[in-house]
Parts: sequence; structure tokens; C-alpha cells
Amino acid sequence: MTLLRAAVSRLAPLLACLGLLGVWQVAALILDTDSFPTALDAIRAIPSILGDKESLINILASLRRMAIGFGLAVMVSIPLGLMMGRSRGVAAFFNPLLMIIYPVPKAALMPIIMLWLGVGDVSKTLVIFLGVSLPVIYHSFEGGKAVEEKMLWSGAAMGLSGAQRMIRIVLPAALPEILTGCRTGLVLALITMVTSEMIARQSGAGNILFNALDMGPYDTVFAMIIIIGAMGIGLDAAFEKMRGRLVKWSEPRFDLPLSFS
Amino acid sequence: MKPRAVTSDVLLGMVPIALLIGLWQAIDTFGYAPTSLLPPPGAVFLRLLRQLFTSEYQQEIAATLFRLFTGFAIAVILGVGVGLAAAVSPAVNAVVRPLVRVLAPLPKVALYPAMLLLLGFGHESKITLVAADALFPILLATYYGASMVEQKLIWSAMAAGTPHGQILFKVVLPAAAPSILTGCRIGLVISCIVVFLAEMITSTDGLGHVLVTAARTFQAVDMFVPLITISLLGLVLNGLLQGLRSYLLRGFPEV
Repeated sequence: MTLLRAAVSRLAPLLACLGLLGVWQVAALILDTDSFPTALDAIRAIPSILGDKESLINILASLRRMAIGFGLAVMVSIPLGLMMGRSRGVAAFFNPLLMIIYPVPKAALMPIIMLWLGVGDVSKTLVIFLGVSLPVIYHSFEGGKAVEEKMLWSGAAMGLSGAQRMIRIVLPAALPEILTGCRTGLVLALITMVTSEMIARQSGAGNILFNALDMGPYDTVFAMIIIIGAMGIGLDAAFEKMRGRLVKWSEPRFDLPLSFS
Repeated sequence: MKPRAVTSDVLLGMVPIALLIGLWQAIDTFGYAPTSLLPPPGAVFLRLLRQLFTSEYQQEIAATLFRLFTGFAIAVILGVGVGLAAAVSPAVNAVVRPLVRVLAPLPKVALYPAMLLLLGFGHESKITLVAADALFPILLATYYGASMVEQKLIWSAMAAGTPHGQILFKVVLPAAAPSILTGCRIGLVISCIVVFLAEMITSTDGLGHVLVTAARTFQAVDMFVPLITISLLGLVLNGLLQGLRSYLLRGFPEV
């Protein structure tokens, strides 16, 4: 019985996917318009996109930009967030600035950044960097703030320097929270990637999607939506697996990534 | 916190903003960037002030705000409702959990073309996108808050004779309120961002449309104005929500 239950709970997301595709199929059959192909039609269009060499290169280039932007953002944001969490002065210094930047859609900066840096990789990566930074900073900040003072005192009593305390006590203690931020950031990186390519129509997965929307092969539009959606779900699941390994000791929490741009 | 410490914190926080604007001005004054690419801050803020008093710009703001509030309201109602239901009923939970697991990491912007094709270029598609993006943080925060409610509270309410049907509204909902309001805050910021993006993609009207129009005609000053406007809107709305929070949570221990 427990075995069966475990199997069901593992398969549940898969069942949910199939259910959603089923609802789509039925809805498309009922509506029966040209602009809303059935799920089967859309799935059938996927091989032709992934088989096309140019689109594949485009999608891989998107993923590379995303990886670079995400990596850089994590490297900058975690130390900054932890320092904000440990020092009230640093937090007071950066908080208002971050509050101002937060409601600005990062992808909307794309037209301005394009004026300065062109439509190439640099501006797109920069926008992804900006999009990922904020949630990672925020979660590192919260994680750093919640570290128990006693652990730091004992660390100091045992002769750890400030920097050592940061790396050996604060970082591991805040790790679960930091990884939650990284998970949000990962989904955000994907979203910012799509939107930035949609605004700077030059290459990439977002470009294929929105060009198809303009030109009219609607099964390509929906196939591209499935591909991007699968990327999001796949990346998230992979990250979750890695996170589970890294912070086995922390109690499992029902936290899911929040996706926005 | 003492009032003096708060003022000094606020002053400290102003420093990076002032530095940023100073740097911006300096780049222009010393001619590192042509003003056509980076207009001086004075010009941008002057333009913003002037625009704020024209009726056309006010209409764009009104269009954006309408979509933002409608989408956000739908997200709050659905998110709190479904979140509470999932926390209370195991059957709902079994259905909602895997769905959320799949739908939450899905980039909603990628769904926007589908919404466009189904709902058209008007308000509906944009409001749907806003609601879809703002929904999940609110839903998750509600679920998390409601499932963390102490069982003892529920037992004592039952012992005190509260009817079974009222426990949800008299105990669970108030106890989950801090978490729900945190979720709403995240959802609100997301709504600001998403409504702007949607207006940029299908540029019919609204602040996003203003930015796209300015970008097409290379009017750098006009590109900054809608961005600053949405940032200010976000700050004001956040402040209002913060006020509502401290009103609703009066008497709660500081969270």
C-alpha cells in the first residue's frame, strides 16, 4: 500500500501533465478554430523544430546565455545577500535601491540596453543577470539574517575570523534558503531569456516563438510553448534533485518556485 | 527600533540612489555618452512631471492600473480560495499539488501567445497573464500558512463550541493571514512587472506601449519615463499594501 502510494505520488506530476494535455486536446476539439491547434498537432510539430539545425543552434545559444547570466548572478548575489543579512548597515544601504528596482520589469530595460550595447549576447545576458539577481539576493538576505547568533559566537570563541565565519557558518546555515532563491532565479532566467529575445528579435527560442506567432504557423507557436514549458519543468526538477542532495539535513519544505519576469 | 536609528537607516539607503543619479549626471556632463543615448536625469524627471499632468499619459496609466488590479484581484481570490481548500481537504490537495508542481515553474510569458490567439489583443489576454503569474505565490503562501496553523488552536475553538463550518473562517484564515499577505505582496510586484511586459508584447495601450513607441522612434527620454512610472507605481502600491497589512494584523505579534 505504501509502495503504491509512493509510486502514485512520484507519478503525480506526470499525470498532471497528461491531464493538462488532455484538457487542451478536448478544448481544441470543441472550439475547433485554426488559431488553436490540438495538443496532438502541436506535439507532432516538435520534431520538425528540434530537427531543424538552425532552430536547434538558436535554442542552444539561448540556453548558453541563460547559463552564463544565471551563473554570474548567483556568484554576485549570494555574497551580497549574505552580507546584507549579517550587517544592518549594508542592508540599510542597499534595501531602498533594491526596492526601487524590484517592480521594474527587467526585460523592459532591453530596449535601453540595446541602445548602448547592441542586440548581441552581452545585452541579453545582462538582462538575464539582472532578472536573476533580485530573488537570489532577497533569499540570501533572509537566510543570512536567520542564522543563529549563538553559532557565530561559538565560532568567534573558537578563533574563526570574520571571513571564515561567513564561509563556514553563515553560508551552510543559510544554504537551504539560498537554494530556494536560486530555484526561483532559475525559472526567472528562463522567462527573462524568452522575453529578451522577444524584444530583440534576432535569435533564440523566444524569437522562434514570437516569429511563428506573427507569421501564422500556429502549430509551431504551440510546439514552441511546449518546448519552453518542458525546459522550465525539466530544469526545475533537476535543480530540485540537486538541492535535495545538498541540503539533505534541512527539513523538507513545500516550496515551489515562483515564476515572474 | 528607535526612531533615530530608522532615520539614519533611511539616510544611508538614500546614498546609493543619490550616487547612481550622480553617476548618471556625471556621465552626461563629462560627455562619456551622447545625450541621445543617455539623457541627463534632470531632463528625464522634468519630462516625467510634465507627462504626469497630460490626460493622454494619465489614460495610459489608468489602462495599466485597471489590468493590474483586475488580474491581481482574480489571483488573490483564486489563490486564497484554492490554497485554503488544498490545506483543509486532502482530496483537493491530491489534485492541486501535482498541478501546481507542473504549472508553477512553467514560464507564463511563453503561454502568452496562446492567450493572445484565444482571447484576442484586448484586456482579457493581458489580465489572464497577470492573474496566471500572480496566482502561484499567493496560492503557495496561503497553502503554507494555512497548513502551519497550530492544531491546538483548532481544538480549543472546537472545544469552545465553534461550529465545524466556521473554524475555517474564524481560526484558519486569521492565523494564516500574515503568510497570505506576504504572498500578496510578492504577487503585487509580479503583477506590476507582468502587466508592463504584456503591454510591450501586444502594444495597444498602457505604459508598456509608451516604452515600445519611444523605442521605435529612438526617443531615449520617453523610454525612461514609463520605466520610472512603473517603479513609482510599484512603490506606492507596496506602501498601500504595507498599510493594509499593519491594519489587518494589528494585535498580531511582530512578524
